[in-house]
Amino acid sequence: MRHVSFIARTVFVQNNDVEAAFRILNRILGREGILDQFRRTRFFEKPFQFRRRINFERCKAIYNEDMDRKIQFVLRKNRMEPFPGNP
Amino acid sequence: MLPKQFLATFRKLLTCQTKVMQINETRSFFMGAQRFRDVIDRKEMLRSVPKMDEGSVGEKVLDVDTLIHQKGDIFPDADTPNRLFNGIPFKNLPIVNVRVSPNNTIVSMSDDKGVVKLLRSCGVEGFKNTRKGTNIAAQATAITLGTKVLERGIKTVRVRVRGLGPGRMSAVKGLQMAGLEIVSITDSTPVSWNPPRPRKAKKL
Repeated sequence: MRHVSFIARTVFVQNNDVEAAFRILNRILGREGILDQFRRTRFFEKPFQFRRRINFERCKAIYNEDMDRKIQFVLRKNRMEPFPGNP
Repeated sequence: MLPKQFLATFRKLLTCQTKVMQINETRSFFMGAQRFRDVIDRKEMLRSVPKMDEGSVGEKVLDVDTLIHQKGDIFPDADTPNRLFNGIPFKNLPIVNVRVSPNNTIVSMSDDKGVVKLLRSCGVEGFKNTRKGTNIAAQATAITLGTKVLERGIKTVRVRVRGLGPGRMSAVKGLQMAGLEIVSITDSTPVSWNPPRPRKAKKL
């Protein structure tokens, strides 16, 4: 399904700040993985390389999930604010 | 009497010195077999080569959702095509297409229908071969095209970028430096998740 031209993947330029708008655009595309997919399709990725990459991404996702859980757990607290008055 | 060679090896074995380096011994850069030398040289060479600019500056970091909440008018919505910019509806604004590749950048101006009016590339500017694939060349090309567009009487444009390469950001910057008012930046890089089989990977 094709995205609509000039509605999808578009960022408006505010106050003639072209660099900021471009950076936002690149950020979104990079985070979504669109630029990575583009780079991947420049050369053929052999099946063994594909499997290696997918397995690595799976392991990374599992690790990140567990690490995030750990961090959220460690950040839990129910105590008096030790430094009251600080922002 | 045993030959000197045998004595030397026997001594080395006794003192377990076959593979251990002496403290004062320094390894020469050119020691070793030919293939090791090639590997070392190539690694040094690859390390000394500067990183290629893919033009995706600003790819990491930032939370986009907070952006949308804070500044809602950064992104277009359903009524954007009819929104007026300097008296012209968005859908009637002329388009500047920036086609970016690792070795070159082509900038062209077309009307809202898509009919190309002007076309400039880094080669036309006077750059040759590798120098075409630089951000400076892209900026220069964009500046000349920008001035030509202004001569035609067009002041507000929307930009459409295609591809990844050195000239991606600098071309748009060059257009702005020429004096054009850029309303929006669109990315129309052709991305496919099941493309026809691309060429094999380059040998590194």
